Amino acid sequence: MDRERTDSGVGIAARGDRFDARRFSHEAMATVFEVHAVHPDERYAAQAAQAAFELVDRLEGELSRFRPNSDIARINHLAAGGSTRVGASTMECLVIARHMFDLTAGAFDVSIGSGLPSLELNPEGFLVRATADGVQIDLGGIGKGYAVDRMADLLGEWGLERALVHGGFSSVLALEAPAGRDGWPLTLSDPADPSRVLAALTVRQMALGASGMRKGGHIVDPFTGEPARGRRAAWVAVPRPTVSASAAATDAPPPRAAAVTDALTTAFMLMSLEAIEALCNRSPGLEAWMLPEPDADLMGQVSLLHFGGNGPGYTSTSS
Amino acid sequence: MAGDGEQDKKPAQAGNKGLGRLSRRDVLAGLSTVPALGLFGYAWNQQHKYQQAKADAAAASPGAAANVQEINIALLGAGAQGQVLTDSMLRIPGLRFRAVCDVWTEYNQKRVVNQLKKFNHSPNAYEDYREMLDKEKELDAVVIATPDFWHSRHAVDCLKAGKHVYCEKEMSNRLEGARAMVAAARDTGKLLQIGHQRRSNPRYLHCYEKLLREAKLLGRVVTISGQWNRALAPDLGAPDRYKIPEPRLKQYGFKDMHQFRNWRWYRGLGGGPIVDLGSHQIDIYGWFLGANPTGVMASGGTLYHDPATHEWYDTAMVVYDFDTPAGPVKAFYQTQTTNGSQGYFENFMGDQGTLLISESEVYGAKLYRDPNAPAWDTWVQQGYITAPKLQEIKEKTEGVTDVRESVSPDEHKVSIVLRDPYHQPHLQNFFDTVRGKGKLNCPAEVAYESAVAVLKVNEAIEAKSRLAFRPEDFRI
Repeated sequence: MDRERTDSGVGIAARGDRFDARRFSHEAMATVFEVHAVHPDERYAAQAAQAAFELVDRLEGELSRFRPNSDIARINHLAAGGSTRVGASTMECLVIARHMFDLTAGAFDVSIGSGLPSLELNPEGFLVRATADGVQIDLGGIGKGYAVDRMADLLGEWGLERALVHGGFSSVLALEAPAGRDGWPLTLSDPADPSRVLAALTVRQMALGASGMRKGGHIVDPFTGEPARGRRAAWVAVPRPTVSASAAATDAPPPRAAAVTDALTTAFMLMSLEAIEALCNRSPGLEAWMLPEPDADLMGQVSLLHFGGNGPGYTSTSS
Repeated sequence: MAGDGEQDKKPAQAGNKGLGRLSRRDVLAGLSTVPALGLFGYAWNQQHKYQQAKADAAAASPGAAANVQEINIALLGAGAQGQVLTDSMLRIPGLRFRAVCDVWTEYNQKRVVNQLKKFNHSPNAYEDYREMLDKEKELDAVVIATPDFWHSRHAVDCLKAGKHVYCEKEMSNRLEGARAMVAAARDTGKLLQIGHQRRSNPRYLHCYEKLLREAKLLGRVVTISGQWNRALAPDLGAPDRYKIPEPRLKQYGFKDMHQFRNWRWYRGLGGGPIVDLGSHQIDIYGWFLGANPTGVMASGGTLYHDPATHEWYDTAMVVYDFDTPAGPVKAFYQTQTTNGSQGYFENFMGDQGTLLISESEVYGAKLYRDPNAPAWDTWVQQGYITAPKLQEIKEKTEGVTDVRESVSPDEHKVSIVLRDPYHQPHLQNFFDTVRGKGKLNCPAEVAYESAVAVLKVNEAIEAKSRLAFRPEDFRI
């Protein structure tokens, strides 16, 4: 979908604007990825973060449609009947993307309306086959979240459990909290007015995503081809599932909470509030906050609508 | 990754596909008919039309004949570069991984074995390569990506065991080691390809064969410039819980875990950035010129890093002399690991034009014609180079006279695009040759010439004077 991307701070920030932890930054995927970690050894933590950043770079090489020799670019050059072999990360992203397409009835569509269902996925053989011409994939709505999930796994291998990872602050994954704390302190704020804090959260083992528009930006609704109206921002939170020992023993990859969250924030900018509420009610743990675009006539501010989690459903707009 | 500033495509097909505008009810209804998949309901083996897709796999994969001869391979060295090569090999049809050998059994070896199992291979895992050569009865070829100081022994033993070998560059950290490899390949008659992957890169091949040799677009090349600048990064570390016990490290030639991970910086193990990075591009200098250098001077030092853990030079600036049939050439090369400005590229400068080329597919190749050179129209028409992107003519109007800034030269590109991972064509070339269907693009004798040129640089830095090459230095 057409989207005017906001830069870091799409309405999520550290409370007080900084965490009390070691901080490492790296540019990739047209944004800044960061690792915030609590660890006694600065050098070890830096090396772990560097390993995580090198992983992000490798993922970008496979997943970015702007790299001419990525898996996605190769898929985007398939003619009807053509197929190509992809790597495990690419196939995982495509499987998740297809699932989210189904789950959101097409509101999340990495093919931007060019025919995702005509792309056949063979996860066993790591093959992708185009049954029609012109399918174009853009993993921009899920790639940062997926990268964040993978980074978190790698940090876990290094023993950096008390950490928070994010990509541009629009895909955030909180692992364990700093010792003695309940969680990582975050705020949600209006992208059009970042000084206006709408909610304060304390999160651990949680993926949190944000989609938002600056004033004047728009998302194109894939169903209509017209700019969507009515949303200024969407935030989604999904708990990071603990992987059971038996599941870990299989070769199936663990559930990717940040990837799913990334996809849902994109979809929720387009889906109706009823549909969002229905999905939240059916998915234990899924929580969403929506900030509607204010009416031109309204003089005051709109309040945040809250779905799922412990809330009772959405509250009506107030002036 | 999604482009800031890039225009995403409007879904114009939405209307064409007859979706129209879905009502709220439709969306809700759509949601309710989706089976209770849950957020993580995607199963790893959830597929759509799986059977058909699987049948297509055998037939429709690009470049694969229905009955391509299968090659049994082993990976010797499952570290960073071994994993890069594996990623490429998993996209090449007709390869069967029989074994993975790596001394880091707890981490890298396990990771690669698990990855290969996902792709339906069943490789045996080894720590000791001699045990692997002993026990694996159905091995055709070994792909070697161990540290440089192990290359010679690994390659020679694999060749003598009757296997074809693809060995990463640099051939060896010592010339004696490289010579032993060439000799073993000759004696056994087995194939030995060295991993200078640009030698099989379609864009590099096109520039060499079509633009330089056939069209002679640049005229007479007089100077070359190249670099690989890399941004500062911490030394490589390792997860605490997967540390290798000291006895095993020492058994394989490493004094501690830090040296195991950072072998490239240590004397006797690697050659530092000029070898790690420079060997690729200095190989291109010789290839494109069709000549070996006659002399080299170089200046370098450990300007930034801790010399205790960085025994080799972190910065090097090198000047080679070449004698070519067209005349003498001077070639500059720089590498550093404190700043990544402008990344990596090679720049060939002739009296009629310039070729700026990088392995990076994002950058590609750019060509500029000298305004006084003959027109390049025929080559554009034949598709060797693209039509020029015209540079704007800037006008300055001050006073009575028009003063124009000098016109930038027209920029041509090459329309060859590599759609596969960078190492795939070179590995494909190796396996094609194993099958008798090709010729190695970088056999051992050719790579040896580059090794001579590259390994001399550290000597030249030490000597602080110009060192000469004799033609016989490059021959075995």
